[in-house]
Amino acid sequence: MEEAAVMEERMGLAVVQACRALRQRHREEEGAHGPALAALFTALSRPPDGELHGKMEALQLELSQSYQKQSQLSEQLLHEVTGAQAFREQLVERENSIVQLQAELLGARGRVTQLEEELEKKERALEASIEEMKALRIQVEELDAKLVKAQAENRMLIDRWMEQKMKDAERLNEANAMYEDMMERFKGKTLDDLARAQVDGIVRHSEAGAEDYVESGMPTSLRHAMRAHDGGCSTLKFEHGGGSLISGGHDRLVRTWDTERGVPLATLRGCLGSVLDLAMSHDDTMVLAASADHKLYLWEVQSGRIRHTLTGHAEKVCAVDYSKASNRRAVSAAQDRTIKIWDLQTGYGVNTIVCHSNCNAVALTMDGDIVCSGHMDGNLRLWDVRSGKSASEVAAHGQGITSVSLSKSGNAILTSGRDNVHTIFDVRTLEAQASFRALGFRVATNWSRSCLSGDESYVSAGSIDGSVLVWSRRLNETENSLKHHPSAVLACAWSNVRRRLASADKNGGICIWE
Amino acid sequence: MTVQARRHVWMGAIPLHLHLHSSEVTSLPAPPPFLILAPRNGYLPLLVDAIRPHFNSALPPGSDTIWFDYQGLPLKWNIPTGVLFDLLCAEPERPWNLTVHFRSYPAGVLSLCEDEAVKWNFINALKEAFYVMYGNTKSIMNMSQSDQVELWHCVMKGDLEGYDRLAARVKPAFGFGANVGRGFGHPPSVAETAITNPVTRAGKPGRIPMRMYLRMVDQDLNDLFDVRPVSSWDDVVYVTCPIDVPKRQGTTLTLRDALMKVVPHLFSSSPTISNEVTSEAPSVMRASSNAVHNEFNGIVRVQGIEPSLDLPLDWVARNLCGPEHFVHLSVICTLVAPSLPPGAAD
Repeated sequence: MEEAAVMEERMGLAVVQACRALRQRHREEEGAHGPALAALFTALSRPPDGELHGKMEALQLELSQSYQKQSQLSEQLLHEVTGAQAFREQLVERENSIVQLQAELLGARGRVTQLEEELEKKERALEASIEEMKALRIQVEELDAKLVKAQAENRMLIDRWMEQKMKDAERLNEANAMYEDMMERFKGKTLDDLARAQVDGIVRHSEAGAEDYVESGMPTSLRHAMRAHDGGCSTLKFEHGGGSLISGGHDRLVRTWDTERGVPLATLRGCLGSVLDLAMSHDDTMVLAASADHKLYLWEVQSGRIRHTLTGHAEKVCAVDYSKASNRRAVSAAQDRTIKIWDLQTGYGVNTIVCHSNCNAVALTMDGDIVCSGHMDGNLRLWDVRSGKSASEVAAHGQGITSVSLSKSGNAILTSGRDNVHTIFDVRTLEAQASFRALGFRVATNWSRSCLSGDESYVSAGSIDGSVLVWSRRLNETENSLKHHPSAVLACAWSNVRRRLASADKNGGICIWE
Repeated sequence: MTVQARRHVWMGAIPLHLHLHSSEVTSLPAPPPFLILAPRNGYLPLLVDAIRPHFNSALPPGSDTIWFDYQGLPLKWNIPTGVLFDLLCAEPERPWNLTVHFRSYPAGVLSLCEDEAVKWNFINALKEAFYVMYGNTKSIMNMSQSDQVELWHCVMKGDLEGYDRLAARVKPAFGFGANVGRGFGHPPSVAETAITNPVTRAGKPGRIPMRMYLRMVDQDLNDLFDVRPVSSWDDVVYVTCPIDVPKRQGTTLTLRDALMKVVPHLFSSSPTISNEVTSEAPSVMRASSNAVHNEFNGIVRVQGIEPSLDLPLDWVARNLCGPEHFVHLSVICTLVAPSLPPGAAD
């Protein structure tokens, strides 16, 4: 127990010692350092005393001011620097622009020199053109002078022309006077003739030419053979006066011939197509030609000038006839199945007759009121000129009629047809009085012309074999066959005055028989 | 007096003299060293809020966990600061010169110290202590979250009153509130009190949680100024050694008994009765009395003091334990126990 007490005592002592040691430790560690550290921290965080504090504040103020200044200055500096930068950039830009402008200047200079060159050229051209203009002006002046001269000349010519006209008018007046005179005489003569006819017991409706009535004779010999038209002579007619012959052919010419000597007298030009038919005015002053160019040409025989060109047909004109009563009337037939009546004074068509068959030949009666036409259907038709209506019709031939010709007296009409028959009709009754045919005779073309002699006693027609046949009306048979033509005979015509027969062939030759 | 002892234990703090490691100094001049009082029962990373502002301006960019080294040895943050000081500063050095690091955390040596790692470390230690004491951790597990947090805050602030109040609420036997009231005014009544107090008996811990840190030095323990510093944690042995409290009445263990049990080889003449210490009270008594002749070859430190080995273990467990209830014993001993004759020490 004692031991335990000792032990307990020792333990208590140890506790006391431990407590002391803890206090000791406390004093050495936190007790010693804690206040020191606290003091240190309070010293560090203690505010400085007044004077120093004031100074410090002043200094701080100064510092802040200087900071402000510095910031201002740095700001200014920045500003300046940026300004300088901007200036530098501007400078660079300017330099660039200068370089650019210099380049442009160079280009512009080049252009200027180019333009100067061009200007020089232009100036030269201008000078040249000025000179040219001068020359032209001179020319113009010359021409003006010429013009003046020409005008003067013209005036002179007009004067002369007027003078001529006056002369013409005088001559016309003279002619008119003469005509009047002649008409007077003619009337007197007609009366005489009428009286004489009545004395004979026959009333003749004949023209002035009737007094030239001559007995026709049978032609037997060739008087002249002439080479007339190249390409063929399609038609020929004697003057009513009987002296000369006119012919038309494929060479587009119309010629007049001296039958006595067998030489050409004149040539009428102007026709543009083959001449298919001819007609002569009763006073022999005008020639009317039917042409294949659809026109009719009217010439003055005297001057050889064309008075009129009659247009209106749509096809080639194949037949024409002149009125025996008046110089103003003519009739024509064309392949367009029309027959036209013309006023030759004005040159206009007066009337147009339309028929259903082509008309190959026409003839006007003596009084000029009736047109006789021969058609392809073989019929002979009579038309009233004024009304244009069919007056009468007769079936004359089995085939197409090629020719219609009126006798000198105007009472009989001879027709030829492609049936190679020639028939004489009485104009008034249209009765066939006689018909002629011959062995081996053949009509050459659709427009082969046959004819009656002036005294109506002979009929002549050309054959395809080149012979010209003459029939005697009294004997009613072939009296003679005239052979000279080398080719088909296209037309024949009797002279009213002398006993002459003319025939034309396809080669263009004309033979005059006596 | 014991109340004061306990307060001293709680208030205990070590003055630290902190240098920033030279590799982390980026300012000129280098920041001045920092002085701070580190609570003995606290942990080093908890000081970071106070330290960082001082060195912040000098730190290189980036961030890492704070850590400390003493003479080249990285300090384990999970050991209370006071224990580190007692163990590593063989001859107490005040203020304690430490180098502070904010970069290149030595993850190979120290375990990672994340946000609340210190707190969890504390809680775990508390649990461990409770398990040692009562055989279960129920009372800790049953603590409400807010209480736990408050407890932790009390520990961090060193608020002893708050801690005691909370401890009392958790479990009457938890903490020492009942005994504190009576105190250890008279040493002779210690054993009596411990035995007769029904409350104490009801919650009397079966064992006392003790953790011993053993540092070997190859030098005479009487002159530790030039002792070779600890270069590696391998040189330090630390063990958790629960000490059974004898149920029998009238027996009181002393610190010496506990040491005899754990490190018997450190006593110069190892008594043969080591096995009887726990089984036979009289022999313990005898051994204790005989131990006067058995010199302990080492220095024992608890809470910065070198207590007499006659100190009753009961008292030690009550007054010198940390807030996690562990009694941390730092023992510095020579590498080879000198075989001095028993009488030489006298």
